[in-house]
Order: sequence, then C-alpha cells, then structure tokens
Amino acid sequence: MLRPVEMSRVVVAGSKNVMESVVEKLHELNLMHIVNYTGGADYFEQGKTMGKGKEFSENLIKLRSIERYLDIKPKAPDVRFAESQIVSQMDDLLGRLAEEVTSTYERITAIEAEVKSKQDQINALRPLAAIDLPIELYSGYETLAVFVGTVESAVDADVAKVAPKSEVFTGSVKNTTVVAVFVPVEKASEVQAVLAEHGFAEISVPKLTGAPDVAIATLEAEIKRLESEKEPLQKKLKDLKKQYEDIILAADEYLSIQTQKTDAPLRFATSENAFVIDGYVPSADYDKLKSALESTTGGRIHVEKLSESEMEELVEKKGEDIPTKIENPGIVKPYELITRLFAIPEYKEFDPTLLIFVFFPIMFGMILGDVGYGIMIILVLMMLKKKFRTEGWTQLINIVMIASVWSIIFGLIFGEIFGPMGLWGKIFGQLPHEEILALEESGRFFGEGVFGPLGRVGPMGMFPLYRLATNAVLMLIGVSIFIGVLHCGIGSILGVKTELNYGEKKHAYFERLPVLIFQVAFALLLLGLVLGFMPLVYLMGLLVVVAIVMMVMGPEGVMGATHLPFYVSNLISYLRLLAIGLASVGVAFAANKLAFGVIMPMLSGGEHLTMVAYIVGVIVLLVVHFINLLLGILSPFMHPLRLHYVEMFTKFYSQHGGGVEYSPFGHVRRYLKV
Amino acid sequence: MAITDAGVMYGLLAVGAGLATGLAGIGAGVGEQGIGAAVVGVVAEEPGFLGKGLFLMLLPETLIIFGLAVSLILMFAWSPFAALL
Repeated sequence: MLRPVEMSRVVVAGSKNVMESVVEKLHELNLMHIVNYTGGADYFEQGKTMGKGKEFSENLIKLRSIERYLDIKPKAPDVRFAESQIVSQMDDLLGRLAEEVTSTYERITAIEAEVKSKQDQINALRPLAAIDLPIELYSGYETLAVFVGTVESAVDADVAKVAPKSEVFTGSVKNTTVVAVFVPVEKASEVQAVLAEHGFAEISVPKLTGAPDVAIATLEAEIKRLESEKEPLQKKLKDLKKQYEDIILAADEYLSIQTQKTDAPLRFATSENAFVIDGYVPSADYDKLKSALESTTGGRIHVEKLSESEMEELVEKKGEDIPTKIENPGIVKPYELITRLFAIPEYKEFDPTLLIFVFFPIMFGMILGDVGYGIMIILVLMMLKKKFRTEGWTQLINIVMIASVWSIIFGLIFGEIFGPMGLWGKIFGQLPHEEILALEESGRFFGEGVFGPLGRVGPMGMFPLYRLATNAVLMLIGVSIFIGVLHCGIGSILGVKTELNYGEKKHAYFERLPVLIFQVAFALLLLGLVLGFMPLVYLMGLLVVVAIVMMVMGPEGVMGATHLPFYVSNLISYLRLLAIGLASVGVAFAANKLAFGVIMPMLSGGEHLTMVAYIVGVIVLLVVHFINLLLGILSPFMHPLRLHYVEMFTKFYSQHGGGVEYSPFGHVRRYLKV
Repeated sequence: MAITDAGVMYGLLAVGAGLATGLAGIGAGVGEQGIGAAVVGVVAEEPGFLGKGLFLMLLPETLIIFGLAVSLILMFAWSPFAALL
C-alpha cells in the first residue's frame, strides 16, 4: 500500500500476421503499459495504422461534431448498449442524424447572423429618424458628398463658411445631435476637416428605402419572424439530444476503442515481417498476460520478462520511466485525490495515500471538533452525493465525510455541540457553579461540561475540554507540536528509505536522518524546559548538537545546517491545528453568546422569553453558525492539506521529479456492455 | 519610563499580541498575493499544476503562525513580564 505495485519490463515479439489478434487480446486484458517506440534501432521502424483505422477516425470526428452541435457531454451512463447494436446503427447516426443535426444547426447559425445584421441596421437607423429624410436620399449622387453622423456642437455656420452651396439637416435624439450634410464633391475634404473639429462620428447608412421609422418597423417585424423560426429548430435539437444522447456517447466510446486498437502499431517497433512491443506489466499479472497471448496466437508469439538489472539499465541509459501504479483499499482510495493533486510518486518512491488517510481526517477533526457541525456536514454531503456523481466529486465528498466522523469524535472530546455554551450543557449537563469557581481558583480549570453521569474524566478531570480555557490552550499547543513531530518524523523515515532505494547512502544518513533526530530532540527539549526536568533538557540538547554536526557532514556541507530554521518552523507550523480551531470556536461562542446572552434577554425585557425574542435569536444563531460552518469546512480542509504538502511531503516526496502514472493499453467501458 | 500598573501592562501585552498576529497576517497576505496571481495564471494554462501551485501559495502562511505563537506567549505565558513591575 505504501509502495507502488511492483512492475516487470516485458517484451512481446511476433510475426506480423498475428499482430491484429495480439492487439485485440492486449486491449481486452487492459494490463500492459506500452512504452512508445521512438526509433533508433536498425531494421525497425514505427508501425502503421491497421485495417479500417482511417475510416474509424473520420467517423469519430464526424460524431464529435454532432456531439458539439447537440451539446452532449460525458455523463454517468443510464443505459448500456451492445457493440452489435452500435455497429448496426452507426450508418443511421452518421448519415441521417448527422445530416439533420448539421442542417438544423447551420440554419440556426444563419438566422442568428441575420438577426444580428438587422439589429445593427436598426441601431444605425434610430438616430436618422430624428432627421426624417427618406433613406434612399442619403446616397447615389455623383456631384454631391454626403456626411451622416453625430456631432458634439452645431455645425451649420462653419459648414456654410467653407461651402456656401450646402445643405445641413439637424436633428437630436437623447442628448446627441445628428446631422446630415450635403455638399458639392469638390468641397468634401474641407467640410470633413470642419466636421472633425466638431467631434463628428460617422454613421453608415444601410441601403434601404422609405422613411426611417417605417424601415425600422419592417426590420423589427423580420427579426420577430426569424426568431419564431429559430425557436422550433432549437427545440428540435433539444429533442434530438434527448433521444440520441446515450447512443451517441456509446458510439463515441465504440469508435474511440476501435481507433485505439487500429492506431496501436504506431507505438510498436515493426520490421517488414515482425513486430516488437515494449511495455510494463504488474509483476503479479505477468503469467496471465503470457498465457493469454500464447493461447490466442497458438504459441506463435514470444513473450519475455527482462531481469531486474536489465530493467535498471533501461531506466538509467535510455531514461525510461517505470510507470507507477498506486493501489489502495477502497476506504483509503478517495485520498489518492490529494496525492495526485500534488504529484504521482515515482516508481521507487512511497505512495503517501495511506498516511494521508490516517492523518488528514484527524487534523480536520481536531480543527473543526464539533459534534453539531460534523453531523450537519455529513447530512449535507449525503444529499450532495446523489447530485454529484462524477469520480472527482465522489472522492472529494468521501474525503470530507470520513473527516467529519473525526470531527464528531473530537467534538465529544472538546465538549462542543454547535460551539461551547451551545447544546452540550443541555444534553450532557454541567458542573455546578461553585465547583467551577473552585477549579478556576486552583488553576485547574479545563472546562465546565460533563459527560452526563460519568462527570469529567481523564487526568485532573481534563475532559470534556473547553478549548478557550487557558489551561486547554496551553495543553493543545503541546499536543499540536507533538502531532507535528510524529507527522514530520514519519515523513523523515520515509525520506531515509527513499534515498536508500535510490542508493544514495550519504543523502539518507546525513541529510534525511539528522532532520528526524533534530525535530524529535528539539521538541523533547522544549517539553523538558516546560516540565523543568533538566536531565532531559541536557540529553536532548546534546542530540540537537549531534544532529547539527551530522548535517554539516552531509552532502551540502555547512550549507546543510542553514536549513535549521525551516525545520523549526515546520514544527511551529503545526500550531495551526490549535489556532484555526480556536478561531472557529470563537465565532461559534460569539454566536451563542449574542443570541442567548444579548439579543434574547434584550428583546424580551423581562424574565420570560417572548415570541419575537425567540425568533430573532434563532435567526441570528442560524446565520452566524451557517457562515462559521462554511468557513469551518474550508479552512480545516486547506490547512491540513498544507501540513501534508509543505511539512511532510518535503521530507521524502518527489525529490527526483514526478512519476508517470500506469495507464495500460485498453479501455474501461462505460457506455458499452462488456 | 517604568510601568507600575499591572492593568496597564496587561493592556500593553494585549496590544502587542494583537499587533504580532495582525501584522504577520498582513505580511503573509502580501507574500501570497503575488504567488496567488502567478499560480492562477499557470493553472489556467496547465491544470495539472494545481497541487504544486497550492503548495507554493501556502508557503508564506507559516508567517501568521509565527505571529500567533508570539501572541500566545504574550497572552498566556506572561508571568515573566510581571516580574518587571
């Protein structure tokens, strides 16, 4: 689980006349991660597409364009089709349906273009309505130049100055002045200059006839007619989508599979009569692959597993990447999302998913730590789970769900149901007032809640812990830092092992190991100081010095020791487990105090709660708790994420660059019957 | 100037604690703004970078925790200061 699945390097070679059946079988097995042939060997070149490959890819392109016109997107499958069903309907889909969809879609596009141009004409005509000249009079002159447009100030006088024989029509619409200036052609350039001084902006007059008002009315009527033509067409596309969506998705899958198969030889090395496939197979499945291939070809195939050292050589000399297949049990699987978001581990590195599964929910729970919020989140997620059914969402929902269970557990430890002073006291009861005072007096106050008839439990009656109490804060600081030591420590141990896997002993013992020693010793030294237990302080002080000396002896020399502040800040960083929790407790506390302590007594005035006070109080509670809950999902998620990415992963992960994910040659059928 | 009133001293400690967290927060925010903008740009081009982008964006956040650590010391472990009175 912590390591990727063990892989074997496999070579499959045979004569070209069995190639098709080998490809068929490999695709069906969905086991072999093919390494593409990139050329370089004598007598061998890249293979060519087989059989009907060209036809399949052309059909696929056609089908994809239908999908685009109909706006079909991948979705969770409702019905599954048999391959024969798809094959028999393929001609109909790509012939009649494609024709229908394309023509409808093109008609809609044409209508939209026409409406747009008519709309533009209307926009140009609107200002001209103020002048009220028939539209045809604006153009078609040989000796006259016409300027139509908007201006910022009156132009009549200035135009008359440069061109005495001229005519200016002026009108105004909505604060802008529209002019139509008719001048002899030979004066055109001078008039243009004059107009420019008045901020002239030209309007291009559409080629129409009649009065502008009438023309606008006609255009509008036409737009309406076009729109009414468009509507049934759009409905038709929608109906077609509804009717054919499932089968189109299935056909897409069928064609994708077929092109995948026919294009496979492009990844092989082929000679005139033979072919060679290189690839990786999980070691456990090698025998299965071998016997399956041999039985389909009647033994006319050579399947060979390379030895460990040959594999090593290929990686080092040719730079081949051994694919990483991460495999985790079902309950851990959702957390692969977090691993993937960072990087796929290399084949020789560790897969941290299991560790994330252990630590992430605990950290989430420790930060949120509220029974009420935990239950609310689980309820909401259960509803969302039905709506969002894609893989990514399901994983995310499962991650938060598991984390919320921990939030409920920590809620019980912290004595919080919708914040302190919320429902806890009403459900489980509280210590009497005198006892609280006595505890505060003696400095042993950890909270006032009780576990029902069990009372307070734990050393000094610590639990349920009231997180805002001074004693609790101090204790949680310590707990947070030691969670950090554990978390980083495991990271460092994995770091040491990873370096050893790569054969880098110096890095392992003088770069990774001292970090582990330093962080553990430093934390214990602090503990010794707090407890005032001096022997521990001296011992740990010595270990810290040893760790620093080891760092200096490491591959980086003195520079190695300059990372020390980073390792100290790593540990301090875990204080966020306490700090963000305090912030959310603070808001919840404020909400309860505001509602029960301020608003309700204030509105009711006397002893008894009035109806108004009750309603307003409940509204305030709902709003503030809702906001707090939203923040309470976001930050307890982001911060543990950071603690993993920055504090833990840097100790061991991707020191050598990200890995290549195992993606076997084959296809997981979603819309087709298997 | 010697502070002789415990109330005044506690008040000043509280102000100091507030400044420690608040200013550290501003600092971290300034740091993250540039990184955040760059990360959004990269992720728009290459969605696979999201994880590493988040990693980079969250780096300066430790600064706030440092400020917070100082605040916690000032607020809860202030008995050494009382000796100054």
